[in-house]
Amino acid sequence: MMIQTEFTRIIELFQLPFMQRALIGGILTGIMGGTLGSFTILRQLSFFSDALGHSALLGISIGFLLGLNPSLVLLPFAVIFALVVSYLLEHTRLWTDALLNIIYSSSLAIAIIILSFVGQYKGGLNNLLFGDILAVQELDLVLSSLLLIICILFIGLTLRTQMLLTLNEPLAIARGISVSTHRTIFIVLLSLVVGISIKSVGVLLVSAFVVIPACAARLPSRNFINYVLLSAGLGALSAVFGMVISAWFNLPSGPSIVVTQLAIFLTAMTFPWLRSLTHSLKLKGKSV
Amino acid sequence: MKEIVLSVEHLTVYRETYAAVQDVSFSLESGTDTSIVGPNGGGKTTLVQAILGILPRHSGEISVLGQPLSRKGFLPPSIRQQIAYLPQNFLVDRRIPMTVEELVGLGWDKLGLQLPWANHRKRSRAVREALARVDVVRLKDQLISGLSGGETKRVLLAYCLVYPRRLLILDEAPAGLDMRAESEFYKLLYQLKQEQSWAILQISHDLDMVRQHCDRVLCINRTLRCQGTPEVALSPDNLSAAYEPEFVRYKHSHQPQSS
Repeated sequence: MMIQTEFTRIIELFQLPFMQRALIGGILTGIMGGTLGSFTILRQLSFFSDALGHSALLGISIGFLLGLNPSLVLLPFAVIFALVVSYLLEHTRLWTDALLNIIYSSSLAIAIIILSFVGQYKGGLNNLLFGDILAVQELDLVLSSLLLIICILFIGLTLRTQMLLTLNEPLAIARGISVSTHRTIFIVLLSLVVGISIKSVGVLLVSAFVVIPACAARLPSRNFINYVLLSAGLGALSAVFGMVISAWFNLPSGPSIVVTQLAIFLTAMTFPWLRSLTHSLKLKGKSV
Repeated sequence: MKEIVLSVEHLTVYRETYAAVQDVSFSLESGTDTSIVGPNGGGKTTLVQAILGILPRHSGEISVLGQPLSRKGFLPPSIRQQIAYLPQNFLVDRRIPMTVEELVGLGWDKLGLQLPWANHRKRSRAVREALARVDVVRLKDQLISGLSGGETKRVLLAYCLVYPRRLLILDEAPAGLDMRAESEFYKLLYQLKQEQSWAILQISHDLDMVRQHCDRVLCINRTLRCQGTPEVALSPDNLSAAYEPEFVRYKHSHQPQSS
């Protein structure tokens, strides 16, 4: 009886426009993060997306300082920042993780200092750090939908090129693929996805949308195309379940989605174990 | 009549601040197997990577099937599709969930903009035939992460064979193959050369193999020290020019003495 009441309450909650927008926003972010994430983790760019998320706070704080709408500053900032970081990674002899650490910790520090001068936004820092998916507006959904279409077209139409690039760059160059062009397009798309997702999940959790569904999808996957599809699907699924859990237990939405992603990842970790168990049981059955 | 498949003129390539390859010129005809030999650090891999556009060149001209390779490494896609390359020390990242069929299929695709499901049947048929040629059809659905070193080499060879090419470039390709697989590998190269007029350019350290299987040899030690048929290019004088003189003395001391 109590469960039925709770269920009715959640159904009613999801009939509210802001909840519907939040759900759609979560699904769009989940699909984008999962799709690009599947390539991001294999190309060892996970920390790059994390650094990008943290550094986005600098873009937001510059927007506050200049009295501009932070959302308008964030996307161009994220793209320029990503291209500069990508250039530095290619043209310095430092270790990737060390360089990213320098960039993200220093930009985070500068952002906090700038925000300390902008008194009226001190209260909003929490929303920047952890996001507020319930505040997603129709314009955000339009932007997310457009970006999703671009991501799907890019990955879909160049899938085999992306596969070869992920497998081995010299092999791809020998086939005439411009590695730098593809890398730049991918990084621009990744930075836009991170930038657009920050409003929903905040700078601290945004990389989870890119990394966790892809890692969860990798474990049971037996071929590349299914892996990419599964990663996108798990991104969307975790957004739906995360939102329901958030509504059910009255928890913050962004962290609820990330915890759901973690639960999916932990479940996926049992797949290889289950597969080897089934295999050994089959072998036993044959020998008997 | 044999066609010039690859032409290299006065090629110089820098690695950091030194010229790893200096003023090298040669050409390859269709239906020939040419081997590049020389000491470690002599510029063999650098030469091959410059030909493919992986490394930029400092000066000189390269053309494939009559089309010049631009300074930025551009060749028309129709020409690129005619080239297959098997790199040295190809390491498979075991975390990539890619099947053997998917990898070999990448060799068949033209890699422009296309729908993911386009040409699925044609690709699948070509992949099966290529895998059959290197005797690994049984591995078709396996993840590449589970392959042994020798199996990986065969699968990569299938990647090269899956589309009819004109130029095959191999960087120490047979390393890691067992005796039987190595013998089949050279038989396959011979077929490609004789029956389909592929031009083959391979880097090798195995001088006995070069004597036995190749039509022509290029001895590289930064510059082109000698070239010609194996009998001519691998003479003691030429070898001591390409390698150090000690190397040739060492080789001689192990040759069987005639009584």
